Amino acid sequence: MTVREWFSNRIRNDVRTVVQKPAEWREDVAYTVDGMRRGTIDPLDVAKTVLATLATIVFVFVLLIPVYWIFIIALQGEGATLYSTDSAGLIPSQFDPAAFVWVIGDIAIPGAIVGITIPFTDVEFYISWPRIVFLDASNYVDSTSDFPRYFRNSMFISFWTVVFAMLMIVPAAYAFSRREFAGRMKLLYGYILFTQVGAGLGIASVIALYTIFSSMGVTNNRLVLSFYYAAMAVPFNTWLLKTYMDSIPTSLEEAAIMDGASPFRVAWEVVLPLAKPGIATIFIFIFLVGWMEFIIAQLILSPEHYTLPVGLFSLIDEHNVPWGQFSAFALVYASPVVFIYMFAQRYIEDGFSFGGTKG
Amino acid sequence: MSLSSVGDRTRERYQATVPEHVRDRLEEHRPLLLVLPGLIAFSLFMFFPLAYTIYLSFTDAEPATVFQDGPGGLTGFFGLRGEESFVGLENYIAVFSDPTFWNSLGVTWLFVICSVALKVLFGVGIAMIMTSDRVKGRRYMRSIIIIPWALPPIFTITIWSGIFSSAQFGLANQAVIFLGFSEQAWLNDRWMAFASYLLTEMWLAYPFMVIITVSALQAVSDELMDAAKVDGAGYFHRFWHVTVPSIKRPVMFAAILTAAASFTQFLIPYVFNRGGPNRANELIVLHGYQEAFNFNAYGAGAAIMMSAVAFIGAFMIVAVWKGRLAEGVDGP
Repeated sequence: MTVREWFSNRIRNDVRTVVQKPAEWREDVAYTVDGMRRGTIDPLDVAKTVLATLATIVFVFVLLIPVYWIFIIALQGEGATLYSTDSAGLIPSQFDPAAFVWVIGDIAIPGAIVGITIPFTDVEFYISWPRIVFLDASNYVDSTSDFPRYFRNSMFISFWTVVFAMLMIVPAAYAFSRREFAGRMKLLYGYILFTQVGAGLGIASVIALYTIFSSMGVTNNRLVLSFYYAAMAVPFNTWLLKTYMDSIPTSLEEAAIMDGASPFRVAWEVVLPLAKPGIATIFIFIFLVGWMEFIIAQLILSPEHYTLPVGLFSLIDEHNVPWGQFSAFALVYASPVVFIYMFAQRYIEDGFSFGGTKG
Repeated sequence: MSLSSVGDRTRERYQATVPEHVRDRLEEHRPLLLVLPGLIAFSLFMFFPLAYTIYLSFTDAEPATVFQDGPGGLTGFFGLRGEESFVGLENYIAVFSDPTFWNSLGVTWLFVICSVALKVLFGVGIAMIMTSDRVKGRRYMRSIIIIPWALPPIFTITIWSGIFSSAQFGLANQAVIFLGFSEQAWLNDRWMAFASYLLTEMWLAYPFMVIITVSALQAVSDELMDAAKVDGAGYFHRFWHVTVPSIKRPVMFAAILTAAASFTQFLIPYVFNRGGPNRANELIVLHGYQEAFNFNAYGAGAAIMMSAVAFIGAFMIVAVWKGRLAEGVDGP
């Protein structure tokens, strides 16, 4: 099963569950009403349940009001502000997608001229196409944001973070899961400890980190930042992938060894393909490290290399926050993360069972 | 050509060049070689800066001295040894005799105590609601309610800073006006600002408590619960004598972890009002950061950071040892 199939299966299951739910609920309600009519179900009991459920729904809504609020502000266009009654309430007074257009800017395929020379001949030809514009932002807003640039920086950093981290984590997780070596358990306990205290220690050593980066002349270097993120992602993700690999039965590997495969081939052609879902999970986690980190990034990057979180924060001026623009920017930045988390939630909950270190 | 045949050929060459006794030693420890790159990279970025922080805390480091020969200079160790000179314990003495440090440490501990209490109460409360049989569709609500955890911290914290905006129609002000009070300049008043930090921290961290508590609650023995019901124990009696003892350990464990997170909280005061007004609410990590980057006293900043690490380290050791929480990690 490829990773794509695995993911699409999961998504299909989730969607099917969501679609089928209303029908199930209708049946439940019908059953309850029927029961009450026949007197087998106590109406008082039903009333209690309904009230409790409604109260909980209201409670959940109140708890998530900040997110709802920012959504409402973003929908009311660029000029939304907290200084007038028009746009600051919980019920939107108008809908205007301008703020989102401001964030995303033009949607277009850039025009280009590509010259192609056929080797060893003098034949040369050019292909050119004009700029194909799907959405011209200037029709709606005066200026556009730096979101595309921040987005490219974030993608660049997250990409290299994933590359560096995978190179370090996958072999290590394999060794932890399948091999015996001196200090294995101690190292593993150390890693688990640092998943919890690592972030705090990282912030505490921020002065030294900045000094080191400056002294070596590598501030504003996106690759160095990626490597730093990758290194910080090692403990948690090694542990997570190791736990996943532990759940893969060893019988297939034993068969491969019986057939005379070298240890390298067993690892590469048997264990790794089976561990793909686990690798996909840590891929997400590692990618998000670079996507969300703010403190170090704002300390060492210059404006031309700002990532999305730093760019978001730079929108805030102490006295005058453009709330409409800010909200739209923040939502576009955060929404992929939310979808990923909703999907990955079952693994997060599993990850908190502390049986993961046995063996 | 498959990758494994490349591997085979590399192996042949390796066997031809490396003498046998060296190879034997390597074979024995080879799995360690797979672990080392990650371990070295992590240690490099975790322990080296920490060690360097200790070093800086004993020097008069400031931008003018540390970066004496410019970035990438090759004097000393990769330019890490600049013109700064040792001053012994001077930084620590200066820091410990500075009332703003003690104020910051006091505020930080107050923040930790209040926020942990709030997080535990709120988290356990939500978890109780979200596992109650009376609430239908609770599984779906659970997955919605942990959304704050999924959002990037800088996103949520800037939004909360907007909620506590002193503008007339900031959400917090709308709420107090709705309740019949007059509007507040939240972040300009010391304790108002502190309260807004607390509320934000609680909102950021409750999903973690909820997840831990829900999985603990699901492990509470149904038989024990039923037995208590048969014996006529009321809801609160059951909660106190059956539920609490069985969820105590995991919740304690989560509380200590989140206490450590609260202790090193940086973003909330930084984004809200830079630890203001007048540095009154600088939590300890922000205090060190401001000393270093606003007042250019890297040595003093490093000393503050190391004091913070010492305090939180001592707290963690006592908490883990007292609560015997290491057993929780040992697993079954």
